[in-house]
Amino acid sequence: MTEWRNGRLEGVRVTEGGDGPLTSVVGQSVLFAKLQDLLAWGRKNSLWPLNFGLSCCFVEMATSFTSVYDVARFGAEVARGSPRQADVLVVSGTVFLKVAPVIKQLYEQMLEPRWVISMGSCSNSGGMFDAYSVVQGVDKFIPVDVYMPGCPPSPHAFMECLLLLQSMVGSERRPLSVHFGPQDVQRPIMPSMRDAKRAERMSQREYPSIDVLPRTDLLSPHFAGQPGGRSKGQS
Amino acid sequence: MTLHASALSDTSTGEQSRLLSELMAHCGSDGSLVAVQFTKDGILTVWIKRQYLRDVLRHVKSELSRPFPMLFDLSATDERLRRNHEGLPIGAFTVFYHLFSFDRNQSLRIKVALDDESLALPSSIDLWPNADWYEREIFDMFGIRFEGHPFLRRLLMPSWWEGFPLRKDHPSRATEVGLFQLPPEKLVMTQDALQFKPEEWGLPRTYHDRDSDFDYMFINLGPAHTGTHGVLRLVAQLAGEEIVNIVPDIGFHHRSQEKIAERQTWHTFIPYTDRIDYLQGVLNEMPYCLAVERLAGITVPPRAQAIRVMMSEFYRIASHLVWYGTFAGDVGALSPVFYMFNDRERILSIVEAVCGGRMHPNWLRIGGVARELPIGWDQLVRQFIDWFPGRLDDYERLVMDNPILKQRTVGIGVLSREDAIAWGATGPMLRACGLPWDLRKVRPYSGYEQFDFEVPTASNGDCYDRAVVHMLELRQSLRIIRQCLEAMPSGPYTSLDPLATPPLKQHTLQDIETLINHFVGVSWGPVLPPGEAEVATESSKGQTSYYLTSDGSQFSYRTRIRTPSFAHIQMVPLMAKGELLSDLLAVLGSVDYVLSDVDR
Repeated sequence: MTEWRNGRLEGVRVTEGGDGPLTSVVGQSVLFAKLQDLLAWGRKNSLWPLNFGLSCCFVEMATSFTSVYDVARFGAEVARGSPRQADVLVVSGTVFLKVAPVIKQLYEQMLEPRWVISMGSCSNSGGMFDAYSVVQGVDKFIPVDVYMPGCPPSPHAFMECLLLLQSMVGSERRPLSVHFGPQDVQRPIMPSMRDAKRAERMSQREYPSIDVLPRTDLLSPHFAGQPGGRSKGQS
Repeated sequence: MTLHASALSDTSTGEQSRLLSELMAHCGSDGSLVAVQFTKDGILTVWIKRQYLRDVLRHVKSELSRPFPMLFDLSATDERLRRNHEGLPIGAFTVFYHLFSFDRNQSLRIKVALDDESLALPSSIDLWPNADWYEREIFDMFGIRFEGHPFLRRLLMPSWWEGFPLRKDHPSRATEVGLFQLPPEKLVMTQDALQFKPEEWGLPRTYHDRDSDFDYMFINLGPAHTGTHGVLRLVAQLAGEEIVNIVPDIGFHHRSQEKIAERQTWHTFIPYTDRIDYLQGVLNEMPYCLAVERLAGITVPPRAQAIRVMMSEFYRIASHLVWYGTFAGDVGALSPVFYMFNDRERILSIVEAVCGGRMHPNWLRIGGVARELPIGWDQLVRQFIDWFPGRLDDYERLVMDNPILKQRTVGIGVLSREDAIAWGATGPMLRACGLPWDLRKVRPYSGYEQFDFEVPTASNGDCYDRAVVHMLELRQSLRIIRQCLEAMPSGPYTSLDPLATPPLKQHTLQDIETLINHFVGVSWGPVLPPGEAEVATESSKGQTSYYLTSDGSQFSYRTRIRTPSFAHIQMVPLMAKGELLSDLLAVLGSVDYVLSDVDR
């Protein structure tokens, strides 16, 4: 039996002189794909965020980088300090009047392809801060790919939006060269999650009590979200 | 001079009258003292004529026996729409100085009335160095000038901003100002406004050393920098690698909370207080609710007090853990933050089980807390506090005993006790200089006097000692939580006072008056009697205080929020001067601050 183990294809015997079962060797070590699919797959699984935080949401974003949540599972843990090395700008918090030109400049310093996640109500629309010093949504001056509701959104929400962005990036098709092929970026139309989840939301009939806690083991490795599980519709 | 008689009988104490007679001995004869106001917080408030302000401030700073060495807060109020003057000499604007004396354990508030024509006061930077930013903030927000201030320019708002936001005629909402746009020419203009010009700050570009001239190097740190923990900007003037001076630039996180407070009802401002310092949830709500309760004259039942204390201490641990992990990260230890966020996640699980929220619990209410503790809370709390001390032992070995961390922090960023007091340092910053000053101990609130705990201190005032104080405070918080767990009082979780909001629902079913009261309190908001109250509490980073002025409506007339991070960030140049550039991050890391707490 042949399998890929420890970075090597094991169980395959390539006999001297190359007269072994060529089809099996080639079949198990060569992957056929369209180049643009392969590139999209690579982009999707290595979305590097810019290490830039604004306010409360950034703490939840940072929490999702730590061991309980661990966005490294999705290849997105490499937070870059320089915008030139980053793929995703997460606008995590309130967009202030004084910091708006800074965000704009950071966005412009990022190289294509680049994406923007607007994290939290403030960044989506100003949220509860309808105030003279707050820009009412980061989309007033940069384009946004994913809007994340919440004040602040939990790390779970951050990871869900990251996966949404990944699915979008994975199905985007970009030109391979300036010399041939279509030169435009083909983007999928992403569904509204509010609509997509409506049926599930409406079908919920049982709500856990907020007066009685489910028995929870804080020391278990899977404690995260357990007592709070009630707010996510499970007990 | 006039005394406000009804208020006098209300809250006047022996302490206040003694201080008042000492003041009268100095400034009663020349007519500089215009009026005495007795506010509901028991802080003596005197109104001084503007031309005598410097003289009185100098007197209480240095000449009075047991003087007032700390300028705790300094801000202003736009009085032009005030209806209830209460017989006080109120002008168009009032500037108030909140001074504090450690020897007396007493505050003194000095107020000066200003008229429309001449909005200027003498600067008091020479008396208290931390007046620098407070005076700039007043200039920024109210347009009041301070004569003799070397760099009187905007602090929080961008330099191109027109108008003074905290004046009553300035719009509050972004939707009143018009749609925000950032066309290229505005982008260029706003970026140019952020350019740092050393000459504007009195910093020379060259220096002379060993018979030749050298250029200083100016390094810009932030507002997008991983070491500043948020949108803070520091410009460092360097001679080689040595820091000569630092100019902090703040205001990138200004959410105009004080203005918002003037349009939210007393009750609906509570969620905003959560976001003042977003790491410490309930600890923000505490001083606000206490001040509102002081205004309304509400007594909080013991069970509500104990629940407040317990959740406060959980948030103190959570906030300290974030600080602890990022501080270790700042000086090069990458792994501690993963352990500490893991523990913080456990605390947030408890918080979520009790309050329903993680970072922003919105848990305190005027008169008590939002609801009863859920059944099973004690099991969660017990499991955590039994398990956590072992983790703290690990952290001490992992972080505090680490030789690299010691080399990078011991003797770095030293702050003397005199400087700490002169610059308004509070909380762990002050206790690291050896002064065991903790409001929970020296001016207990919310029932802290019933708890058995110690106030940890350290002696050197350097970065390492600040970490030591934080570390020891974690254990004291655990002690307090254990006492809450063992002796949680029974009784109601909120007050039955008519102004407590929201009132208990079950009482509305008894008679129509209670139902109307409930309806008004929930929909319209409680109407608080006119008056002023300020409550300071010990939050995770230092002393946070809310100074509320009620004009007899359901909104606050003026809410002044004094935050510890503002004072501490102002001290960064003081601590970092003479150190190496790499030490700047150790200093910044050791100062426990959150940008939303700096800019509000």
